[in-house]
Amino acid sequence: MSSTMPQSRTLALGAGRPTIEVLEAGEGSPLLFLHGAGGIRTWEGALPLLARRFRVYAPLLPGFGESTGLELLDDQLDLVLHGFDVLEALGVERPAVLGESMGGWIAAEMAALRPKEIGRLVLAAPIGLWRDEAPVADMFGMTTPELVPYLFHDQSNVAAQRMLGVSALLSNKDDRTEEQVEFLIGLARGFRTVAKFLFPIPENGLERRLPRITAATLVLWGKQDRLVAPSYGRIFAERIPGARLETIDDAGHLLLLERPDQVAAAVTRFLAA
Amino acid sequence: MKFSWFHLMPWRWLPQDFRQRYHSVWVDVPNALYDPVRGHRLYNEYLDMLEYADQVGFDAVGVNEHHQNAYGMMPSPNIMAAALARRCPRAMLLVLGNSIALYNPPTRVAEEFAMLDVISGGRLIAGFPVGTSMDTNYCYGQNPATLREKYREGHDLIIKAWKTREPFAWNGKYTKLRYVNLWPYPIQQPRPPVWVPGLGSIETWDFCIDHDYNYSYLSFSGYKRAKKMMDGYWEQRTKKGADDNPHSAAFFQQVCISDTDAAAEREWWPHVDYFFNNCLHLYPGHMGAPGYMSEASLRAGVVAQVGNTGQNMGRDKTWKELVDERYIVAGSPATVRQQLEELAKSLRVGHLCLGLHIGSAPIELTNRSSYLFAKEIMPHLRPLFAEYDDRYWPRPLATDDRVAPGTQTDAARRNAERPAAA
Repeated sequence: MSSTMPQSRTLALGAGRPTIEVLEAGEGSPLLFLHGAGGIRTWEGALPLLARRFRVYAPLLPGFGESTGLELLDDQLDLVLHGFDVLEALGVERPAVLGESMGGWIAAEMAALRPKEIGRLVLAAPIGLWRDEAPVADMFGMTTPELVPYLFHDQSNVAAQRMLGVSALLSNKDDRTEEQVEFLIGLARGFRTVAKFLFPIPENGLERRLPRITAATLVLWGKQDRLVAPSYGRIFAERIPGARLETIDDAGHLLLLERPDQVAAAVTRFLAA
Repeated sequence: MKFSWFHLMPWRWLPQDFRQRYHSVWVDVPNALYDPVRGHRLYNEYLDMLEYADQVGFDAVGVNEHHQNAYGMMPSPNIMAAALARRCPRAMLLVLGNSIALYNPPTRVAEEFAMLDVISGGRLIAGFPVGTSMDTNYCYGQNPATLREKYREGHDLIIKAWKTREPFAWNGKYTKLRYVNLWPYPIQQPRPPVWVPGLGSIETWDFCIDHDYNYSYLSFSGYKRAKKMMDGYWEQRTKKGADDNPHSAAFFQQVCISDTDAAAEREWWPHVDYFFNNCLHLYPGHMGAPGYMSEASLRAGVVAQVGNTGQNMGRDKTWKELVDERYIVAGSPATVRQQLEELAKSLRVGHLCLGLHIGSAPIELTNRSSYLFAKEIMPHLRPLFAEYDDRYWPRPLATDDRVAPGTQTDAARRNAERPAAA
């Protein structure tokens, strides 16, 4: 069991490039995990399950955890190249990549930019597309507790409850402890990174690049996703050559947290095939 | 001291149950609540108030910029300032201001401000707000993580364009222009006075101090927070070795004057109530897009504004509470005079921006208030801080060198309308 808990290490990517924290756990073939807008605050959900079968590498973007250097990444191209810098620094070649939400977008962009360098691709409720008839909910225009119903089908989920708990820290008085202030600032820091690349509408032309992807691709979607409608899953599956869509019931946007067993099983099946 | 008459231009007809029925007064407030025909009358009534302020002797008339906002209907303050430039021949034009990062290229701001300065004979005060998160991020789609960097680059470009007398190239990160070459450039050289409105962020203080700009604290949150913020500003000036010139600071204050204290409450309460309970109905989820505020500001006590639910902006307070806590300064001329003197001295502000219109107030009530202020209050407060040089004020052309609007019309008409030659 202990081998499924992550070790943290720091990775300097070189002069003029960020220094990042990477969480690593498990043994097996390499699986690169790219996190969503919330980062990885707790090693939970599908991650420990996947670490029973794979060597999971979970780099944190600048602004999350101990990773720094957001100011060195100006735009989307810098961000995607940063992804390859991380792979190179990890010494991992043609890994399977699992990207969740924002991480799914980055994974898809990486696979489109350098198709030969990505082994297999799993996109879990990725963002990056836009349809006027199904607008992606404005994750930048809500308070953290208000986001919960958009992220979770079942708000009694432990991670959902943690997010709702943030409302206790929102106050008009200067009565928070230093630790609480630092926690809020940490949230703001991570979200700043997300905003830098995706504000105000998380769509920057990915759709026309999707056909460049050559990696075998599995698209996973929660049937009750209220942040990014499941109809987007069909577009991903249609545009990426040979991609397959699998929807998971009783799951909202954060399906790795809500349905860890199903997600881990689907990923394992797909990567073993 | 100097006194600027400052308008927000709120919409007057929000429904009584606005707060219950609508999400916010800003960003996504449905414009079905707006009516352009009523808007026509309202704009003209509001401009009349500003023109009257010029007539009774206010030092400046002030306008500002907000977008998609039912309490601030000046998406383009420069249009308002242009309308005032010719109808207010005496007062300075306080445009507080143009949110630089919203203009592409920012030379548009340099051009329009130069036009205003030239039309008015050098009476412009150029305001450079970063802009609220509502305006800049949610309404105008600017990236919160890079907004301040873009603002600063735009600022540097504008300042250089104003004082440079030959074309130059600007290779910025956010703006690339092969030829920058202003026609016209401002009368005031090397630049009009710059005022920067803020809500208490340290970066804004430093920016003002480093460039010797006036810092304008625009508060709707009462004296207590204002005192904390202005004390912070003065401490920062001391820390950076800047002088303590009170004219380097301006303060916005809502003021309601009637003949007596009792009359003020009776006449103004409905409009004050409308302002604090309808107009300031803000949605916390739009008050600070991620990255809008720096970590230093978050940490240094602006934190309270992060989780702000709007309750410290005067909501659900009684008249007495609003007056006692100085959300408004209200009452007879004697009461207001005494309170404003205390406030100016305690906050050490050489410039007062006076919100003499509030909420749904009509012109009759507002102009009476303006008149009483000009006659009964201004002369008494005028000598405050006179020993300090006000280097934050316009240096217009001498009155004799300024052209009064319309003075050439009669002679031109005689010529234009002369009988046709046979």
